[in-house]
Amino acid sequence: MRKFISDILFFAVFAAGFYLALLMLWGAYVPARFKPNLSYIRGAYGHSYSRFAEAKSFGKVDVLILGSSHAYRGIDTRIFTEHGYRAFNLGSSSQTPIQTQMLLERYLELFNPKTVIYEVYPKTFALDGVESALDLVSNDKNDWNSLKMALSIHNIKVYNTLIYATVYDLLGLNSGFKEKNTKGTDTYVSGGYVEKELSFFQPVTFEAKEITFKNNQLQAFTEFVTLLKQKDIPLLLVFAPIPKVNYNSYTNMSFFDAQMNKFGGYINFNEVISLNDSLHFYDGHHLNQHGVEHFNILLLEHLNYQ
Amino acid sequence: MLFNSLDFAIFLPIVFVLYWFTVNHNLRLQNLLIVAASYVFYGWWDWRFLGLILFSSLIDFAVGLGLSKQENPTKRKILLWTSIIVNLGFLGFFKYYNFFLDNFSAAFSLFGMELRAYSLNIILPVGISFYTFQTLSYSIDVYKRKLQPTKDFIAFSAFVSFFPQLVAGPIERATNLLPQFFNKRIFDYDKAVDGMRQILWGLFKKMVIADNCAVFANEIFNHSSDHSGSTLVLGAFFFTFQIYGDFSGYSDIAIGTSRLFGFDLMRNFNFPYFSRDIAEFWRRWHISLSTWFRDYLYIPLGGSQGSTWIKVRNTFIIFTVSGFWHGANWTFIFWGVLNAIYFLPLLLRNRNRANLETVAAGKILPNVKELTSMLATFSLTMIAWIFFRSDNLTHAFQYLGTIFSASLFSVQTLGNFTQAQNILLLIGIFVLVEWQGRNHQYAIQNFRDILFKPLRWSLYALIIFLIGMFMPSVESPFIYFQF
Repeated sequence: MRKFISDILFFAVFAAGFYLALLMLWGAYVPARFKPNLSYIRGAYGHSYSRFAEAKSFGKVDVLILGSSHAYRGIDTRIFTEHGYRAFNLGSSSQTPIQTQMLLERYLELFNPKTVIYEVYPKTFALDGVESALDLVSNDKNDWNSLKMALSIHNIKVYNTLIYATVYDLLGLNSGFKEKNTKGTDTYVSGGYVEKELSFFQPVTFEAKEITFKNNQLQAFTEFVTLLKQKDIPLLLVFAPIPKVNYNSYTNMSFFDAQMNKFGGYINFNEVISLNDSLHFYDGHHLNQHGVEHFNILLLEHLNYQ
Repeated sequence: MLFNSLDFAIFLPIVFVLYWFTVNHNLRLQNLLIVAASYVFYGWWDWRFLGLILFSSLIDFAVGLGLSKQENPTKRKILLWTSIIVNLGFLGFFKYYNFFLDNFSAAFSLFGMELRAYSLNIILPVGISFYTFQTLSYSIDVYKRKLQPTKDFIAFSAFVSFFPQLVAGPIERATNLLPQFFNKRIFDYDKAVDGMRQILWGLFKKMVIADNCAVFANEIFNHSSDHSGSTLVLGAFFFTFQIYGDFSGYSDIAIGTSRLFGFDLMRNFNFPYFSRDIAEFWRRWHISLSTWFRDYLYIPLGGSQGSTWIKVRNTFIIFTVSGFWHGANWTFIFWGVLNAIYFLPLLLRNRNRANLETVAAGKILPNVKELTSMLATFSLTMIAWIFFRSDNLTHAFQYLGTIFSASLFSVQTLGNFTQAQNILLLIGIFVLVEWQGRNHQYAIQNFRDILFKPLRWSLYALIIFLIGMFMPSVESPFIYFQF
């Protein structure tokens, strides 16, 4: 029995080392099609790398913005600056409450914000969080909070990518990486915002859908709301405008509004602002720059009022 | 609890340590621990059905004791039928009630009569077909005086609920497994290492082969009307490997886990896709079920003794019942009948025991005849699996109709074909590994003969890496849980 236990332990150590070595080689040399459970893309869509790099040295802010692409493509920090608010946008693609919690734990002290705006998009509460986790793991420095996030999501692709990214960083293989400010029609703006070249949405039909909540997402959401309360930082929950064709396809929006209202200050801007699906959006989800300006002015009015 | 879950990865070492380090000096306590662990394992899915297993255990235990004291043939028969009616009654109610109801209603409506019946929203208890057959084997063997009934209820409960094989087999015979609960267990290093190796190979089969094939098989079968004949062939091919990887993978994990606790379960798969005819296939596929039906149905019916008509009748009965055992759907019954039809020419020409030895024994590669026979048998099996996988008979015939149409020669219509190609490549590697190990209990058993330890360990670690790199993100349950 003793030999069996010791063999198992030695093999566990051997297998861990073998796994790590092969993962690094596989990640570096094998074509992407043979890496279904490893997705390490530095400088991916959405300028996360530039955003997190800037976040580390940005300093204290008045307003910290978090959320999905509706946040970093919908809330322009330049407009906030014009109105006397120093703001930073920590939004990222498909960011779910699990990632928001991790980012707050990592950056809250650094930014020391007077107010936090959290953009709530219903779908993010029903996602597994894998897509956003891969984005953050690949484009930000990893720490214990990354591991905590990975355990919460419990997905092999996230585990593999986290191991790969951590070793990659430890070996200093990323030191020379620089992300272009403009990629395609997207331009990164200092403060975390991404501006899209002006274009207009051709409305399409959206299938009816229902809003649901995943338990682990709701738990993460509740925990970071509590954290902000404990730190006495006001939180404003914002449902950013989306095209009416998309918004009206939700069959239980009142349920979502009721849920959000339980957590404090919440504004559903789809019920407040009247925008045109073609003129103010560039796709079925995101505002174009005209729409952003309309929405941000109104958001600032609410912020001033609060 | 799923074998391929984190829960099981925590559960197994805990039970192992308790078993070998805390209760190892007391056989009854070891058996009690197995019962407790098995009930936790099953209750993890739904604790409400634990009562069913307990009741089934109590009935068969009592029947066994009754049979030991009873010499009167009529009373002995009554006791046996009590066990059969209770066990098959549970199975019939939970698994077949709605099926019979719907079909009776449909049959009555053909004659213009309206049958007022209410179908029930019944949850099928996981593994009910497996453990009811296992307990039945006990009652029948005691009745036939092949086995002395036990007076130890703990040991008997452990036999009925033994967690490695509780929900999807192998369906153990009481004569094989029950006596093992009365033997003092001594830890055997080689046996435990062999068990770990078999678990590893089972996990690879399930998580890499079966679960990846499932992604494409589900996509193609669920949208079969959108795809060309060539794509449907691919779908059937993927399902053929999905069901093999899934079920034989489960059996490997079950057998390997049992070995960690000092138990030897019967073999359930013997490289069935290397069979040269259908008779050989059925000696190699789901062996514990095939032999159960052989021992408790086919032979009592007369088996292969008697006239040709009797042989044909018995063959059709055993294959049809075997199909129906899988599920309450005409697709399973047709699948069984189709296999009987495949089997018939071999039976009539007395060729059903022509291929008893391992294919290409002592050779690296098969000869042309062996290869052709294997491919032909594989193709027939693949066609039969279409019925097994389809939602209903109409779906199955439409599926086959598209395959045997001009679109068989058109380009495939699968969206993510690149990913499918990767899976085909993995299947290719898997078949090669299985082929080289076909003389053993499972494909990588011969890795133990590699004396150079670092190479042996590297191969195991490589399998772990391939699982980590290619397993789908979401855990999926084993197909045979539904049976």
